[in-house]
Amino acid sequence: MAALKSVDFAVDKALAKDFLNNFADALGEPKYLNILQDVANRKRRAIHIELDDLVDYKDLDEAFLQRVTENTRRYINIFAEAIDELMPEPTEVFPVDEDRDILMTQRVDDGMDNVDNSDPLQKMPSEIRRFFEVYIKAFSKGTPFTVRQVRASHIGQLVKISGIITRCSDVKPLMQVAVYTCEDCGFEIYQEVTARVFMPLFECPSNRCKINKAKGNLILQLRASKFLKFQEARIQELAEHVPKGHIPRSLTVHLRGELTRKVAPGDVVELSGIFLPIPYSGFRALRAGLVADTYLEAMSITHFKKKYEEYDLKADEQEQIERLAEDGDVYNKLARSLAPEIFGHEDVKKALLLLLVGAPHRKLSDGMKIRGDLHICLMGDPGVAKSQLLKHIINVAPRGVYTTGRGSSGVGLTAAVQKDPITNEMVLEGGALVLADMGICAIDEFDKMEESDRTAIHEVMEQQTVSIAKAGITTSLNARTAVLAAANPAWGRYDLRRTPAENINLPPALLSRFDLLWLILDRADMDNDLEMARHVVYVHQNLESPSLGFTPLEPSVLRAYISTARRIAPSVPRELEEYIATAYSSIRQDEAKSNAPHSYTTVRTLLSILRISIALARLRFSETVAQSDVDEALRLMQMSKFSLYSEDRQKSGLDAISDIYSVLRDEAARTNTMDVSYACALNWISRKGYSEAQLKECLEEYAALNVWQIHPSTFDIHFIDA
Amino acid sequence: MVGLAYDFLANPLGAVRLAFEKAVASSPPDADPAAAFRGNDWGAVDLFRDFLFEQGGLSQVPILDASTRRWVQPNTLVRFRGMVQDMLGNELYVGAYKDGSNWRTNKFTDMAPSSMPPAFETQLWERHLFYCVPVPGQNSWAMEPSPSPGVRNMSSSTSQHGVKRGRNTEDDMDLNVSYNWDEASSNTKKQKEDESTCQSSSSSEDLANHGGDLELKNGDSSCLSCLVKIYDMPESHLKLNDVFEFIGIYTFDPELAGHEDNSDDVMYDLFEDPMAHLPPSKVPHLHCLICRKLVIQDFLPNSPVIEPLPNMIRKIRESLLLHLSAVLGNDEVAAQYLLLHLLSRIRAQVDVITVGKLSLNLTGFTRESASIFCCQLTNAVEELLPFTHVIPLTIEYLNNATLQPRKDNETGRLVAGVLQLAQGTHLTIDETRMQNGTLTSNGVENARLLKHLLEWQKVEYDFEYYKLEMAADVQLLIISEGKSNILPADLVLPFCPKSVASVNATGEELQAWRWYLATMRSLQHSSEPETSQILQDEMVAAMQEDRSLGCAGLTRWLTMAELMSASFGEKCLTLEHWQMIKELERLRKERLQ
Repeated sequence: MAALKSVDFAVDKALAKDFLNNFADALGEPKYLNILQDVANRKRRAIHIELDDLVDYKDLDEAFLQRVTENTRRYINIFAEAIDELMPEPTEVFPVDEDRDILMTQRVDDGMDNVDNSDPLQKMPSEIRRFFEVYIKAFSKGTPFTVRQVRASHIGQLVKISGIITRCSDVKPLMQVAVYTCEDCGFEIYQEVTARVFMPLFECPSNRCKINKAKGNLILQLRASKFLKFQEARIQELAEHVPKGHIPRSLTVHLRGELTRKVAPGDVVELSGIFLPIPYSGFRALRAGLVADTYLEAMSITHFKKKYEEYDLKADEQEQIERLAEDGDVYNKLARSLAPEIFGHEDVKKALLLLLVGAPHRKLSDGMKIRGDLHICLMGDPGVAKSQLLKHIINVAPRGVYTTGRGSSGVGLTAAVQKDPITNEMVLEGGALVLADMGICAIDEFDKMEESDRTAIHEVMEQQTVSIAKAGITTSLNARTAVLAAANPAWGRYDLRRTPAENINLPPALLSRFDLLWLILDRADMDNDLEMARHVVYVHQNLESPSLGFTPLEPSVLRAYISTARRIAPSVPRELEEYIATAYSSIRQDEAKSNAPHSYTTVRTLLSILRISIALARLRFSETVAQSDVDEALRLMQMSKFSLYSEDRQKSGLDAISDIYSVLRDEAARTNTMDVSYACALNWISRKGYSEAQLKECLEEYAALNVWQIHPSTFDIHFIDA
Repeated sequence: MVGLAYDFLANPLGAVRLAFEKAVASSPPDADPAAAFRGNDWGAVDLFRDFLFEQGGLSQVPILDASTRRWVQPNTLVRFRGMVQDMLGNELYVGAYKDGSNWRTNKFTDMAPSSMPPAFETQLWERHLFYCVPVPGQNSWAMEPSPSPGVRNMSSSTSQHGVKRGRNTEDDMDLNVSYNWDEASSNTKKQKEDESTCQSSSSSEDLANHGGDLELKNGDSSCLSCLVKIYDMPESHLKLNDVFEFIGIYTFDPELAGHEDNSDDVMYDLFEDPMAHLPPSKVPHLHCLICRKLVIQDFLPNSPVIEPLPNMIRKIRESLLLHLSAVLGNDEVAAQYLLLHLLSRIRAQVDVITVGKLSLNLTGFTRESASIFCCQLTNAVEELLPFTHVIPLTIEYLNNATLQPRKDNETGRLVAGVLQLAQGTHLTIDETRMQNGTLTSNGVENARLLKHLLEWQKVEYDFEYYKLEMAADVQLLIISEGKSNILPADLVLPFCPKSVASVNATGEELQAWRWYLATMRSLQHSSEPETSQILQDEMVAAMQEDRSLGCAGLTRWLTMAELMSASFGEKCLTLEHWQMIKELERLRKERLQ
């Protein structure tokens, strides 16, 4: 404390001046002098002094920086005084017709006349001459505080907090300098106002009146006084910052001058400001006891960005991402970290991860746009945790809207034209899909959607716009969103006796727009049941969930990783094109052969394969798509209908082992070879939805029958020609 | 009191200040004493702890409630039991100031003892504010009787004091009333608070008896709420809806009540801080010295010292079962289920599984049987559990009631909803009076909230821009004609009364049962690995048979088995209890068909 008190503010002023004069930004431009010139030319009012710049400044004085952050209010004045001295002459002509300017010229003239008059109250405060406002902006790096972390020890300091604005007052004028004229001597008397309440002067304090004992009557001159725009707001903690069992805290924020009208209730913002107390005065002090009210005097406002593309990585996140990327197996690791509390469903989670990553939008030279967002539909029996998956994805996505097919507001999913009750004007109101532009829209109960929305959603899913032609408004709104839908089968539960088309109660036109349609059936499965029983017993005994065998990544890390991945736009190499084309045609052929197709394979499917492959390449931070990506994409598409296929096979009497054999034999016959490498075999069968273990079993079994030979170390297959 | 310059009960602040001065004097001269004691205790709390718990002073401390408030003096030591209804955040206050060359403290008080010199060196300290209300739905038998003034170790002028105090409060109320007259329509909020203080004469007993009518719309419409100021404690110590006992210094300044400065308020009207609605003149303030979290056992009045012998517990269990089946018209199966339900307690919320939840839906009530048994049942539950609440579920109720606690950003206060309940509260929902009708959006929202509470034991609190889920621990009993679809309970049991028996229980029995329920409920559960292995296998087998069982069914069975063993006072789950559960479930299934 004692050391601080001895600080010579004059020295600090010189330091401030030096900084303003000599600071050069990355381009070598004198940043602050340029700003001052703009101020002199009346082009701007606010001067933001950034602490980041202070740190970057070549002649940085650490102690000075610390003093600025810890005694910010004082240093704003010091900087303002420094600026007063540095203010350049205007280089441009601007009209001098404002009252203020006229008054100013008069005052300056008057000032010349009364040079000898050294009365402090008659001296014009520098405040009234200033046309600028000084703000000190906190470091842009570093995590902001939550409201609850701001404590008594932060009083007087520059703090950065994040939260949601809950209330805003009107903008009101706040007197900064009160100007009076004396009836007797005619002098202008100035009174600086620093608090919210001030005691007006009634007697002229000028020397002349004092000597004459005239007790001159003072009249407050509103036009001559200086007012500041002033607004109050209340900021509340964000839901994710509230500890369990507590309720959100809030804090009053004072916004002055240029910072007014920057926020509206509901905005999520990051504020930097000075945490200050206001002691109660008068009777209020008596009533409230010895309590001091506190507020934050805002210095800068940043609205939270909710888009991936604008996501700023923090230093530690960057490091974590790099470590993850090096680690390999990112794909599995990230997928497992999605909704870790939901047991199983690994492939669904993988698909959802790819939905988050997406592929870049393509705009062809002829103006046609090809969407990059992946659409996924989860269809399944009730109680398979579809809704929970949806909600979790929304939490991870930086911008996500969760809604149900029925939609809660009248606007519905797409958009509506509504009559404003006050002005009677027609206004366009965006629905959930429009609100989720550049994000993810999760639609639960997709099958129960209103007919009107269902037609509109066709457009949203392929063209990614919402067109409206109603009540004289013809427009189209952007809805570049990835749709994640959840639906129940037609009769509530999946009916195995009916065809898939009957069960999936959605028109083919809509269905084909989904890149992946996932069928999750609740089936009698001994392993699954045992796993569930074990889980329940464990939870009851230990009151915690069994360890997952891995630590799930924090949603923030996931978000950071995905946002980094989204910056990459991988390309498909020419040699892979053939491979994809063959894969596509074989799917088409399979479908033609089957009498009850499970899917509608169209050109859209081809685009889907590409999109999924590109998303996979993005996850690897790779600029080109590899064959493994395409294989995984095909595998996912196959797995999504796995539960149906296995049913089919059971009907046709084929068990998994013999099916794997027939797959391998067919493939070998198709390519006209006797040798099949293990990797190829694994590829083929995983596309059909089988596991590696099953493949091994099959290999052993048929090797025993002398159908083929297995290479002892590489497991490559050699068919024995019979 | 010999040897002490102060009286802990009558002048606790004296003790605080004396201890402070002593501590300052003994601290090294070069250190800044005020800074050293920021956020620290200087031994004052230890003095009180010693007095209260070592010297048996606790029994002399009066409980602050509506009735004792008439004679409790400001600036004395009181006790207050309540639920944390709202958290008002931090308050900075002038904790220490320099009077000449001496440091003085303002800790544990609202007012400075003497007017402070105008230019003084001060230290700002922090304290946490909590708005506490009596536990919603607390039954009259669970109220602790306060030591009357006579018991207190006071001077001979006790009675005089009492009378004098009484008159003072009356004066104060007159003032309040006249003030209300001026502003009756303009400020309903304040009026409500006044009512709450005036209402003090209405006994809490009748409030509790008509639990169904108890309107909890506003936290301050129940008897006596209190603003508690907590010092030097990590915030995480107190959670919303926790039930606490606070021992501290009561401040209340009737002299300020008359004044109302509007001129000053105009400046602040827009952003009136929540404190302005709770001036010490209207809501008593309590500066907490010591607080402790209460469990259900703490609410058993003069709890009988029962040896937890297995035999004894078995006996009490038998008699309680008899009593419950008498209440339920000799339906023994229902009585068994009801017992398990009454013993249930949320032990943990793990991902999607809520461990320990067992809500019960008794179906098959007709209009006639409902009129008899509903009343009997709710009365019986009221007599057995300390916190109970009844919701008559009708279209009108759903449309009009405020179930959801909501943050009012205008006043900065959390407006209590019916569902803001303390941990371990029992909630009976009577659906028998439900008629056809249309739900408004509020009604739909309320139904959704109830369903969410039933399924997840979580209540969504509305913070206007977002919703926050708070974990709850509420036992839910639903009484309906058919299976309730609005409120899907864990257990659905058709109710088959055989006869109408008169129910009466002696006070002694009631006490034993209350003790039994409170104690058995708090038992820890465990099971041997072999047992769990067997259970696992049985469960898998059961699932293969019945696909509809699912995760919820398994959880329910396991919970029931644990509660069954708890009902015998055993901590360890045995196969015997598992068999009993299976038998019970078989009986229930039969009834369902």
